[in-house]
Amino acid sequence: MDLIISLIPLLPLAGFILIGVLNKKLPKGMVGIISNTTVLSSFIISFYLFLSFIKGADSYSTELFPWINAGGLHLGLSFMVDHLTAVMLLVITGVGFLIHVYSIGYMQHDEDYPRFMSYLNLFVFFMLLLVMGSNYVVMFAGWEGVGLCSYLLIGFWFKNTDYNNAGRKAFVMNRIGDFGFLLGMFLIYQTFSSLDYKEVFEAAKNYPKGDPTITAITLLLFVGAVGKSAQIPLYTWLPDAMAGPTPVSALIHAATMVTAGVYMVIRSNVLYMLSPFSGEVVAFIGMITALMAATIGLKQNDIKKVLAYSTVSQLGFMFVALGVGAYTTGLFHVVTHAFFKALLFLCAGSVIHAMGGEQDIRRMGGLKKYLPVTHITFLMGVLAISGIPLFSGFFSKDEILAATWVHSPLMFVVMAFTSLLTAVYMFRLYWLTFHGDFRGTHHQQEHLHESPSVMTAPLMVLAILSVIGGFMGMPHWMSEKLGVHHVFNEFVAPVIYSPKEFILSHTFDFSLLIGTIVALAAVYYFTRKMYVADKVVPEEDSETKSFQKVLANKYYVDEIYDAVIRKPLDAISEMFYKIFDINIIDGIVNGIPKVTNLTASAARMLQTGRLGIYLVVMVIGVIYLFAFKLLL
Amino acid sequence: MNTIVILSVTGIAAMMSDVFKLKKALFGLSLLGLLIALVFSVYDWGQYATYFNQMVLTDNYAVVFTTMLIGITFLWFLMSKDFFSSHSSASEHYALILFSLTGGVMMTNFSDLTILFLGLEILSIALYILAGSDKGNLFSNEASLKYFMIGSFATGFLLFGIALIYGATSSFNLQEISAYVQQHNGSLPMYFYAGILMILTGLTFKVSAVPFHFWAPDVYDGSPTLVTTYMLSVVKMAAFAALYRLFIYCFAPVYEFWIPVFAIMSAVTMLLGNITAVYQKSLKRMLAYSSIAHAGYMLMALASPGGTSRSALMFYLLAYAISTLGVFNVLYQVHKVTGREEIKSVKGLFRKNPFAAIMLTLCMLSMAGIPPVAGFFGKYYMFVSTLNGGLTWLVLIAVLSSLIGVYFYFKVIIAAFQEPELENTAYYRQPSDLTVLYICGILSLLLGILPQFVAGLL
Repeated sequence: MDLIISLIPLLPLAGFILIGVLNKKLPKGMVGIISNTTVLSSFIISFYLFLSFIKGADSYSTELFPWINAGGLHLGLSFMVDHLTAVMLLVITGVGFLIHVYSIGYMQHDEDYPRFMSYLNLFVFFMLLLVMGSNYVVMFAGWEGVGLCSYLLIGFWFKNTDYNNAGRKAFVMNRIGDFGFLLGMFLIYQTFSSLDYKEVFEAAKNYPKGDPTITAITLLLFVGAVGKSAQIPLYTWLPDAMAGPTPVSALIHAATMVTAGVYMVIRSNVLYMLSPFSGEVVAFIGMITALMAATIGLKQNDIKKVLAYSTVSQLGFMFVALGVGAYTTGLFHVVTHAFFKALLFLCAGSVIHAMGGEQDIRRMGGLKKYLPVTHITFLMGVLAISGIPLFSGFFSKDEILAATWVHSPLMFVVMAFTSLLTAVYMFRLYWLTFHGDFRGTHHQQEHLHESPSVMTAPLMVLAILSVIGGFMGMPHWMSEKLGVHHVFNEFVAPVIYSPKEFILSHTFDFSLLIGTIVALAAVYYFTRKMYVADKVVPEEDSETKSFQKVLANKYYVDEIYDAVIRKPLDAISEMFYKIFDINIIDGIVNGIPKVTNLTASAARMLQTGRLGIYLVVMVIGVIYLFAFKLLL
Repeated sequence: MNTIVILSVTGIAAMMSDVFKLKKALFGLSLLGLLIALVFSVYDWGQYATYFNQMVLTDNYAVVFTTMLIGITFLWFLMSKDFFSSHSSASEHYALILFSLTGGVMMTNFSDLTILFLGLEILSIALYILAGSDKGNLFSNEASLKYFMIGSFATGFLLFGIALIYGATSSFNLQEISAYVQQHNGSLPMYFYAGILMILTGLTFKVSAVPFHFWAPDVYDGSPTLVTTYMLSVVKMAAFAALYRLFIYCFAPVYEFWIPVFAIMSAVTMLLGNITAVYQKSLKRMLAYSSIAHAGYMLMALASPGGTSRSALMFYLLAYAISTLGVFNVLYQVHKVTGREEIKSVKGLFRKNPFAAIMLTLCMLSMAGIPPVAGFFGKYYMFVSTLNGGLTWLVLIAVLSSLIGVYFYFKVIIAAFQEPELENTAYYRQPSDLTVLYICGILSLLLGILPQFVAGLL
């Protein structure tokens, strides 16, 4: 059994190697079969593991080989599966498999289809490595690997310079975060002389609450999470990352990779528990990010950009949950979010597919009758993310809101407002895309068609999951009535160190429920009136005014970064290049060959080819030798 | 012991094969003789025996070096199959190579200064002739004559040194000399030390150490390419085996006297060899200078004797000999087909035969000392052993001069991957002509990945 778990990541790796090496020599059908079966097999094994956990298994671990042995540092390339990993495994391989299936339809006609599928497999491998590592270094290897795959896939259509720049931006932003992660690891090793989860967490339990070293470690690790999970101030890469093919946005930039930061914080919950200050920072950053991204989402007109900002916002929700100590709730939201956000992205892909590459919702409208399946599934996703009661997003989001209420009512107000905004921009997106009149060109209208079933089938599966996925974590009042437990919390509980209880009075729960319903009904009514009845279409970019313009331009954060960081850096490096590099470094580098060449030509002079001179020099050498050793 | 006999017999048989009209079987016969000798050599592993009144000695050191010498010669035979068959005097040339190898084996097995001298002369005299074996070529004749003249001169020094040592210790036997020196350390006459310097001169001449290196570029460049290959690989190996054995086994008690000489010689040799090689346009001449530089690195083993210097020297020699054979295989074929020897004549090799170009790259990387090939570990072991010997300054110079080396070794690699100068450039008659290159490239890589298997032998 312990050995079998190493198959989970190795199968997608094998798929990557096979497809990567044979590439276009493989028939397209085989590419799809290989990439899909490897991920499906991983999913089956993961599911089997999951069942064994339900039956009461504790954890599995195995070491493939010793990896680094240096001084006191002994690290193995070792895997570990516990309850937390099991949940992540199901999400990664399950949602990953559905997106692989979808990709067959979506990418089939791309000339680089095999390369795309091999990258997807490679990504799944690295993501599994990330969640299955039994120490921080293996996690970091996976962490870097998914970053690489993200870069490769954002710039998949590498002939477009903008896409390449987007990939580079993602990579650079992530590197900033990775730097923090690395420093955090160094500090962990210095403090605990180990990087193994078990050893570190055991040792950490002896530290007092609020220990400054632990606070430093957790903050540094969080810097890594901020980069990978696109939080303020490093979130700007995620909207740009939408340059990649849509399945990539669904898999990497919505369902899995961006939740790596959340996973890392949950994995290190022992450390975060010991540092209330870090918790405050995490919650605060999460809150600001959630609010800010939601406001930007209100004014975006690119279907994928709206979803991207929504992802940033939802990730903010997760971090708020982690920050206030509700780790299982955060993970719960990771799972439900994976369902509905992957669904929304794939639906968006289906729409883009039908529209012939058009992504601007101002050119859409009325797609309901052309894309019936996509329409229904998209609606399910919208209902889920908006938190309509009994849809999956409702359960996880209400749990987060409840936890913030316990922590700080002010934070609760901000988060409640943010979830309202979520509903607003999602419904706006929905109405503008699927209702009203078609606003695209005549040519586009003729081509509108529902996607093939290989694409719609994953949509349906994800839609079902988005609808019912929440029932594994029912709120207290509901589970009490039905006599079932909060299955999700109980499953993950063993991984959490001294879990907090966030039980509220039923009055609160009910008022929250009522408030949610009323607010959502209002949102539904007003957005419908505005975008369907009054047929309001967002104005063209040039006509946008005042604060709306600030929102449409994403608070000018990219421009501010450009002015505050990039330009001064460019100026400094320009200066160093002109003064230091050209004069000093180049001078030295060019000087060495000059001296060498001069010496060489001098030495060559001695090699005259005349025997007599050779003998004389040889004798001189012997005389020197004697003088050197015997006479002095 | 048996090895020496078998090699001599094979040599004599090769010489007489002409008479018995067995010329066709000559090649197979020689290879067979080498294989049998190889088996007997390996068979002696772990045994310690002396022969001929303690004049010849077999121990693990001798076994390792003998095996390496025969193995390298075997590879050399494989790559020069067509050279001698095209010659009218093929049997003599085969015989001379085999005799020369016999001399080399004697130089690793000696336990007596007379055997050292005999071995060196058997090795050298055969080479004087071989250097001039391209009779119609003026440069070949010049090389032969120069080599002979300066070689005789150096032999004079060696003999004089042996005489002085005998005068001081009244023995030719290594053990006896060593015991005598141990006993009388501090009260040895001045001419004993003079004897050491004389022997040192004679032997460092053979390994082409500065300032006794002047013959090397001319001889290496002028001799037929295959003979040069043999000199660079087998002869250098035998000479270093003898030098190391003599100084470690015999003059160890007075090491303080000769260590500085080797250290300075080593530094000057590697610097001068590498710097001069930078300027060469001819691949052959560049490799001749680079061989001088490599001698400098190998001398580091004598500058810091003891510890792991023995296995470091062994590994370095092996890595160097293998990569030399590989590169010279290419050079020989290119020269044979196009008559050119410049570095740029390998341009476009990758286009024509990617595998050959990659193997050539491995060999060049090995020479430059870049991981993961054998040459890197040769240098690594050597530097570690020298650092342990306390000669940090020497290692610094060695690292710096390696950097210079990278420059000209990479010229060859870059050329191999560049576009060809002429369309349809021929680099060889048929791909199998480069078999030895493939073997050497793969061996370099294997030794680089699993160096401890060989380095652990000594």
